[in-house]
Amino acid sequence: MNWRAMNNILLLEDLPEIRAWLKSLVLQVFPHARITECSRVQDALLQVQSLRFDLALCDLGLPDGSGTDVVAKLRDVQPEAQCVVVTIHDDDEHLFPALQAGAYGYILKEQSRELITEQLQRISQGEPPLSPSIARKVIKYFASQNLPQTNAMPTVSLTERESEVLLRVAKGFTLPEIGVQLGLSRHTIADYVKQIYRKLNVSSRAEAALEAQRLGLFRR
Amino acid sequence: MPLPALPARLLRPLGLAFWPLLLALLLAGGPAWAAPVQLLTQARMLPLVPGQAADWNRATPVQLPDDWATSRPAQQGVVAYRLALAAPAADAAGSTLHGLSIERACSVLAVWLNGQMIHDGGRFDEPVSRQCHRPQLVAVPAALLQPDGNVLELRIRGYALAEVSSRQRAGGLSAVVFGAFDTVAAHHARQLLFAIRLPEVLSGALVLMGSFMFVMGWFNRAQSYLAYFGALMVGWSLLLARLWASDLPVSNGTAELVLASLMAFITLATVQFLMRYAGHRLRWLDLALPAQCLLMPATLLALGPQRLQMASSLWYAALSAQAVAAAVFYLVQARRQRSRLVWPMAALLGVVAVSLLVELIALGWRLDSRVVHVAQLLPALGFLALGLRLVQQYGRAFQTAEQNRAELEVRIREATAQIERNFAQLSELKVEQVTDRERKRIAADLHDDLGAKLLTIVHTSDDQRISTLAREALEEMRLSVRGLTGKPVKLIDALGDWRAEVVMRLQQSGVQGEWSAPSDDEVPQTLSSRAYVQTTRILREAVSNIIKHSGASQCTVRCTIDNGDFQLVVQDNGKGIPTELDGRLDKGHGMASMKGRAKQLQGQCLVESGPGYGTVIRLTLPLEQHTTAR
Repeated sequence: MNWRAMNNILLLEDLPEIRAWLKSLVLQVFPHARITECSRVQDALLQVQSLRFDLALCDLGLPDGSGTDVVAKLRDVQPEAQCVVVTIHDDDEHLFPALQAGAYGYILKEQSRELITEQLQRISQGEPPLSPSIARKVIKYFASQNLPQTNAMPTVSLTERESEVLLRVAKGFTLPEIGVQLGLSRHTIADYVKQIYRKLNVSSRAEAALEAQRLGLFRR
Repeated sequence: MPLPALPARLLRPLGLAFWPLLLALLLAGGPAWAAPVQLLTQARMLPLVPGQAADWNRATPVQLPDDWATSRPAQQGVVAYRLALAAPAADAAGSTLHGLSIERACSVLAVWLNGQMIHDGGRFDEPVSRQCHRPQLVAVPAALLQPDGNVLELRIRGYALAEVSSRQRAGGLSAVVFGAFDTVAAHHARQLLFAIRLPEVLSGALVLMGSFMFVMGWFNRAQSYLAYFGALMVGWSLLLARLWASDLPVSNGTAELVLASLMAFITLATVQFLMRYAGHRLRWLDLALPAQCLLMPATLLALGPQRLQMASSLWYAALSAQAVAAAVFYLVQARRQRSRLVWPMAALLGVVAVSLLVELIALGWRLDSRVVHVAQLLPALGFLALGLRLVQQYGRAFQTAEQNRAELEVRIREATAQIERNFAQLSELKVEQVTDRERKRIAADLHDDLGAKLLTIVHTSDDQRISTLAREALEEMRLSVRGLTGKPVKLIDALGDWRAEVVMRLQQSGVQGEWSAPSDDEVPQTLSSRAYVQTTRILREAVSNIIKHSGASQCTVRCTIDNGDFQLVVQDNGKGIPTELDGRLDKGHGMASMKGRAKQLQGQCLVESGPGYGTVIRLTLPLEQHTTAR
């Protein structure tokens, strides 16, 4: 995904102070953006139906549900919109479902303004972050995915290079380090990471569709 | 069945037939007379009419034995026989006592010698004594004998054939034996043994064993055939009682009726026993056989005492047919089921059948008394043998059942123990689940409430120090939650997480970092989530110190595993910790908390520092205690 102008931004966050803080931060990065603020999942889903967004920042734990639903919805109706999870949870148990639903990376809320700004810029430029624990989870996910060779469904699998990158991230190497190790540019590595996120999403959706079909077959 | 078993199978019925055969030999092979005796067969017979004087001129000569069934079938009442008795010739021994042996005098006998009464066998009025089967012995004192001839008068009261159910109990008189008393008495004793004593003994034995088996069968409905067999034995013992029970308080007609009806009961018991023993229960038989037991006496009663013989004979034939049918049915079934009892049972049934045949023949024709005796005793013996066999079978089955019960008990006990174990495991699991759920709830609460507030402080506080403290508090909280809910972490994964964090933070702060750790296959261990969290904190604190205070340009982190200990060495080339603070372990550097955390994990944290030498922090944790503990 190439760099693009972020004109319409969805901001989903239930805590007013944090929402205000995030808004100011986002305006700092994208001064001309029009920001739509939501504090509830239902509001955000409505907004997604009516407005087009270039970027969405979604909190996960909300009073009326999980931001993951908004991420999934956005992925469905506006696939070109970029979703970033903004959360207080750093554990993969909370993050992974959002990433599967189609989020391109995540930002931890308590980080400093400078760090978040930088991460936001990187994400919007197509360089999503990837922590070792998430990498391990992705590896595990695709490993289990490959075990039952499902028919009819085009199996989504990682390339050798993508796997290599994942393995190195899991061992604690940073993306620039991996770039040096593999003799690749920083952008190429970032592309691999994006591919990994995308494949995770595609595979998860295929899996979900297959599951739904299976349930449908049973119901029939 | 294998071939070698064949002789045994054949021998078994032979064994069963052994005792009857011995009995028959005993009966048949009796010794001849030990001393000369007179056999008196010539007599003059005179029916006596009550209230009239005996007119011996009208007497008719008869040949003894005189069976009324043949000689005067329609007659009944009292009859006198006069026999001429010669005095014992040349009684050299001068014995003073002689004896008369009368094998059969039916139904009651009284004897006069030369007008003197010398024997009174029982009541001549109703109820008349019933001594048809009882041999009689009469002592004859020599003093009463006259040398020139004596008159012996035997008076008998008997019944016509039509009035009794068996020819054996129709009136009659056998030949009379006269001789020395001891000779005659010995002969009589032997006759008495077979005619009366053995039936008495067998009656007793049958009643005893029959009652026993009846009770056994009664309380074990699954073995109801035992009850029927017991009933059969009791019935048969009553049947045998006809031979020895001589003085009944009822008239001849009633006694004969009851005796005949007893056959219906015996048939019921026999048929039911055979059917049940073969494993078949027919509902209609349960009703039909008792009904027959009532029907038979009813018909006999209706036809009257004069037709008793005829009616009962017909009934006997019908009852025998039923018994035979049941026997055949049983044998067929037993053969099909390959029962081990089939041959002994066949032998027994054969014996009973032959005995019944003899009895049936004896109903109508006169037979040798010895044959009749054998026929009377053999079935009883057979029943006793079969009874013993059934009891043995029952005992064995009981033993087997007891054994099964014991085994079952053991199995139940095992199953119970298993269930208890499972239950214990299950409740343990349940406790674990509940605890886990509670932990997750606490963690979620911490995140949502405390976390949100801390976060607000982080981003809204104007004071940089407060903001930093809140951020640290948030991180601490997150680690605590992780320690609360987390699963054990693979050491290799933990190393990855730590490396990513350390390298990124150093890089962002412009410190050149170097990280060394053992390769993948050298670290199979896992850390408890608590150990993981605490180590993360120690490492974070150490790196924070370097970034904030040391002014170092380089930092090396070395992880090693040695002798089951995990060692983490963080070394920098900064200015070191100021000496004046070393003793107090200043809060800003967090040395005290690092050491405290290490101590919590049963490890230690050593700090070496000197001005100009930088700082070395050595954390050593024993791995064994944290590899599996939660």
